[in-house]
This record gives sequence, C-alpha cells and structure tokens, in this order.
Amino acid sequence: MVRTLGWLTAVGLLVGLVMAFGVAPREVTQGNVQRIMYVHVPLILASYVAFGVLALASIVYLVRRDAAADRVAHASGEVGVLFVGLGIATGSIWGKPTWGTWWTWDARLTSVAILFVMYLGYLLLRGSIDDPERAARYSAVLGIVAALDIPLVHFSVYWWRTLHQPPSLMKPGGFTGSTSILWPLLVNLLAFMLLYAYFVARRVRVLRAEAEAAA
Amino acid sequence: MIADNWGFVAAAYGLTALVLLLYWRRLAKRERELEALNQQPHAPRR
Repeated sequence: MVRTLGWLTAVGLLVGLVMAFGVAPREVTQGNVQRIMYVHVPLILASYVAFGVLALASIVYLVRRDAAADRVAHASGEVGVLFVGLGIATGSIWGKPTWGTWWTWDARLTSVAILFVMYLGYLLLRGSIDDPERAARYSAVLGIVAALDIPLVHFSVYWWRTLHQPPSLMKPGGFTGSTSILWPLLVNLLAFMLLYAYFVARRVRVLRAEAEAAA
Repeated sequence: MIADNWGFVAAAYGLTALVLLLYWRRLAKRERELEALNQQPHAPRR
C-alpha cells in the first residue's frame, strides 16, 4: 500500500515537473521565474493540510487517548514543518528577482514565519518530554492552538496591505487565470498532496517501530 | 524584455528536491535500522 503510494507520488512529481516546464507558458510580467509558483504554492497548501490533520488527530487523541492518532499528529507535524520551511525558502528565492528582496516583514510572510516557528516548537516540545503520554498530551494542546494561525496566514493578504500577491487558487470566485497555468498548478498540488500522504505513512510506520523497540 | 532568472528557478527546484530526497533517505534508513532491531532474537532468560 505504502509502496504503491510511493510510486504514484514519484509519477505525480515527474508529471508535475513536465507540466511546470513543458506545458505552462512563460508568464508575461515575471518571465520564467514565475515557474517557481508550481513548487511554492503546492508546498504551502500541503502544509496547511498537514497542520489541519495534526489538529484533528490531536483532538482525536485527547478524546480517545489513542496512540495511533498521536503518531499521525506527530508525523503530520514533522512533514508540515518540512513543507512550510521549503515553502518559505522557495518564496524567498522567488521574491528576490520579483520584489527585489529575499524577505520583508509584511503580514503574509510574518504570519507564515510564526506558523513555522510554532510547529517547530511543537516538534521541540515533543522531543523534550521523556514520558510519551505527557508529550502526546501537551503537544496535542499546542497542535490545536497553533492551527488557529492557518486562517490568519491565508487571509492576511486581504486583512492587511501586503507585498505578497493574493491567493492563486483558494480565493472567492476561484482561479481567474489561464487554464494553461491552472492545470500545471493542480497537477503539482495533487503530486505534493500524494508526497505528503506518502511521507506521513512512512513516518507513522517508523514511529510505530520505535514504540515497539522501546517496549 | 524581462530577465528569465533561470538561476533562481534552478535554486528553488534544486533545494526542494535535495531536502525532500534527504528526508526520504533518512526515513528509509531509520526504518531499516528499526526493522533489524525488532527482528533480533531476545537473549534467553536464565
């Protein structure tokens, strides 16, 4: 099952690359550097999903004290931090040639940096408590509270004046650009969602094996 | 004419590919280690 998911992910990422470089057109105002969008946007959206799953799994853990739910939360948090970190890095690389700066403290960038730091703190909290039950309980509470930042990140471009452009996909009225940009973006989004699911499945397997080894 | 900035594109895709590959390898390595550890026969009790 996990192996099949792995192969599906590999094919998805390969097709995504072909779509981003072979199908999507050269953007009129930014030129070819806009192709960074096909990796930047899927990474950020997949991290939203990762932190949403973390919050749901944390609620399930607090209600049922189910170790499997805690493992999903832990794995999802780790993959989410990886994805949002890469999302920030690719955004910064995209920002330099288009905005003229690697970083600016505008509302979107600041709120996403806070999101990254909060979930990094989530992972550090987990690692700093020896008792697994206590680590799971405390981090579940933090995981739920930290999820409140997700809508703040997403809507920051509407609530404050920012340098960052408004959302491409998840906005009122839907995507308004060309379909030659939309399809490569959707294929890459699907590929990164598959990658997220694959990484979480493998990380959960490792966490289960670690628990067995410690028992 | 807008500059294409291919170097920035390569940096973004290259960094992403490298980090994801390293994470995937780390998971695979840890999984193999734990598999070997969990398959070790327990020492006989005296």
